[in-house]
Amino acid sequence: MADIKIISEKVKQALSDAGAQKAQHTVTEKEKHEFNVDGGQFSLFRTLFDRSLSITAYKDNKKGSAFINQFDDKAIEEAVKNCIKSAESGIADEAYDIAPKQENEVFRGGAYEPDVDLFFERTRELMRNIEERHPKILMEQMIVSHDKIHSFYQNTNGTEFEVFHGSYSVSLMFSAHEGDATTSFFGSGLSTDRLDRPFIELGSLEKDLADTEAQLATVPMEGKFEGTIVLTPSSLGEFLGSAVSNFVSDSVILEKTSIWLDKLDTQVADSRITVSFRPGDPRIVCGEKYTHDGFKSQDYDLIKDGVLKSFLLSLYVSNKSGFAPAKNTSFSVIIEGGDTPYEEMIKGIKKGLIIGRFSGGQPGINGDFSGVAKNSFLVEDGQIKGAVSETMINGNLAQLLNSLIAISRETVADGSSVLPYMAFDGVVISGK
Amino acid sequence: MLEDHVSNKKSLFSAGVHTELREQKSRSISVFLAQGNLTGNARMESSGTSARVYQNGVYGFSSMAECSEEASETVLRAATENARFMDRHVGKGKGPLPFIPCGGIPLNRKLQDTDQKRYIEFAKELDAYITAKYPKLSSRSVIAMEDSMEKLICTSDGYDGHICAPRSYIYVFMNTETTSGTPIELFKAMGGSGTFIENFTDPVLLYPKIDTLYEQIMHKREGVYAEAGYKTVVLSGFMSGMLAHEAVGHTVEADLVLGGSVAGPALHQQVASEMVSLVDFAHTALGAPAPLPVYLDDEGTPAEDAVLIRDGILTGYMHSRESAQHFGARPQGNARAWAFSDEPLIRMRNTAVLPGKDKLEDIIASVDDGYYLINSSNGQADTTGEFMFGVNMGYEIKNGKLGRALLDTTISGVAFNMLKTVDMVSDTVEWTSSGYCGKKQPMPVGMGGPALRCKVMIGGR
Repeated sequence: MADIKIISEKVKQALSDAGAQKAQHTVTEKEKHEFNVDGGQFSLFRTLFDRSLSITAYKDNKKGSAFINQFDDKAIEEAVKNCIKSAESGIADEAYDIAPKQENEVFRGGAYEPDVDLFFERTRELMRNIEERHPKILMEQMIVSHDKIHSFYQNTNGTEFEVFHGSYSVSLMFSAHEGDATTSFFGSGLSTDRLDRPFIELGSLEKDLADTEAQLATVPMEGKFEGTIVLTPSSLGEFLGSAVSNFVSDSVILEKTSIWLDKLDTQVADSRITVSFRPGDPRIVCGEKYTHDGFKSQDYDLIKDGVLKSFLLSLYVSNKSGFAPAKNTSFSVIIEGGDTPYEEMIKGIKKGLIIGRFSGGQPGINGDFSGVAKNSFLVEDGQIKGAVSETMINGNLAQLLNSLIAISRETVADGSSVLPYMAFDGVVISGK
Repeated sequence: MLEDHVSNKKSLFSAGVHTELREQKSRSISVFLAQGNLTGNARMESSGTSARVYQNGVYGFSSMAECSEEASETVLRAATENARFMDRHVGKGKGPLPFIPCGGIPLNRKLQDTDQKRYIEFAKELDAYITAKYPKLSSRSVIAMEDSMEKLICTSDGYDGHICAPRSYIYVFMNTETTSGTPIELFKAMGGSGTFIENFTDPVLLYPKIDTLYEQIMHKREGVYAEAGYKTVVLSGFMSGMLAHEAVGHTVEADLVLGGSVAGPALHQQVASEMVSLVDFAHTALGAPAPLPVYLDDEGTPAEDAVLIRDGILTGYMHSRESAQHFGARPQGNARAWAFSDEPLIRMRNTAVLPGKDKLEDIIASVDDGYYLINSSNGQADTTGEFMFGVNMGYEIKNGKLGRALLDTTISGVAFNMLKTVDMVSDTVEWTSSGYCGKKQPMPVGMGGPALRCKVMIGGR
């Protein structure tokens, strides 16, 4: 491997020579070991050796960016030249900036070097476990990989961050089959830095496989009613992603289309809801160490006890809008467990759905959502009646956050997030 | 352009196994103008070499971020080792892949670079036009982009080739509010195969399409929610292309068939009305170049059209060489890789419902109470064929005439059920190619179709 610090110094010098007044760049080397299973059988072993150089430069308040994956002198010179040329062609804007000097730091985390033999054995064990415990499951694709990353960040304010990260990830795509009956596909995954436990015990893999088998038994769903939905941790993550994109992200604040634009420090959700982004939490594997603008990442609450505490902004949009930038740019989302056991949550439902997956478009910018409830179960009078098909749900994200019924005591930590089950009221559910 | 470090390495290929060696350079240029602010201004270029080796039913793959004689030799060695590792531990004992005659496809075109300034100036000119002419908009964005893939492909048994595929687009987004204060958005993608400088010579040429987009969002301001239920609709060519790709195309990719898709037991069965035929075109479609032509895939198979549905009968799947061997079919060039570090997967190319004989105006006139659905913000489908499309532009049809515009809604159904309800097919195909298909790796694809009259579930409020 090349010495990425030497490469970084060359880039720094080239940027200075080319007239960059402010700049930041990251040099990264990556290695991947990956096993693929297709149609239930091992198909591929893949090893990748990759690298990248990402540069952002500012000249006369104009910004340009370049990305390459070659480290020879000519490639670096060309990339810097293109970056500066892009900046010179740009539009001057005083809001462009990078973070002030941060304390230099080296971050080490996760399983930096892979144990390929044990990793392969854990993968074979997972396949065996699924075959023995979940015989109705047909594995469309399984991808298990170890990713090793060494990166070095520098900017013209003197900040240097070096990161050594390594983690294993498991991603499954599967459906259940029995006779002529077949379920929708379902995706489940996790990240971990340890191989001391069978993969099937991690995240929500075992429950996701069991739920998918249970979806073979369907019940008719007719008519239209307003009812309760229980979002599973994985579907909750999808809804939160949409809410972030629609209400607190760069584009909607810059374009002033967010319906929460004037809601900072006011109540936007039920007071039992606290949504945090915590890449530093020990349950998050190899969380973000520094932001895209060169700040050291810090944990923060997006919503605290129902009150909106921050937007998720870059430094640029922060400078444009006057709101503070986000303290990290990860989506390491955490909602701690509540006080209602999951079983009790289900028992308390008069009529509604447990939503395993939502297949819908990006909600409208007012938060209206409409889509198909996939991998979902009908609940009536506190009993799970069976899986539904061709069932749609309609509602509004902002209203949903104010229609909370309960937060489950149980949470799922999959290495990227920690989320409970959450039950909400007031969603329109319609069958065929 | 790439310098060839692969075609002289055939002597290093191991005997008795199938080997692919590929050098690739991918490039993308993008400019984002949001409310007149330059929020993105970037150039990305990545290149490298990869090798894949097939041995007794398993693959080994390796890649390096380098294009050189040494990189070619290193990835060949590593991929061969990986294939041996898998064969030793998994031991499927399968035979060789189907025979493909040897041949070569010469470089089809060269890339012209376009200065970043041209993208910015073009976007600024469109932004200025929108700002001056349409002050009622609450916000607008303009994106100008080009991406390209150049590949040198060398195989142990099959075709070798040097291919280059650029495409470029302008996206215009418009936002405003309905009369009741609800924010709404619409966007339009313009462009296709070719470099930015080839596709966009003068911003003025795009003004009519921008004017149409504005007209639509103004109609949408006064829009109403669709009435939820099982309704007769006319899907535009854009929507039927999306259906062809998402709801049918994915289910007939042979790897998904092996993974349990609904198309497995449906081969040679009636899955659509007799008016419906569906083809995944390689490089030429309906007498013209396909939106994103593919001449050779990354396994060395020359590309040809794959007929998937003929007169309502499911006739075949899309294949890699391995899946073709499994199903006793002929590979037709669908195995494609995104980046140099990616292995080929079964991918669509230009998937379309074939045109019929009806005129769009006659189809609309035939509907007493239904909807004309024009544009979609996104779509998802299941291997069961169950699909969901977000509809961001459409109109009511009342007594054969277009009525009020619709606010955002969603349609859903099961493809092989819904296609049986098709009873009118227009004579004109509308193509689109601006997005990426997602399946482990992204991939540019074309999709198209005529307008269809059919029945679907539509979500209201």
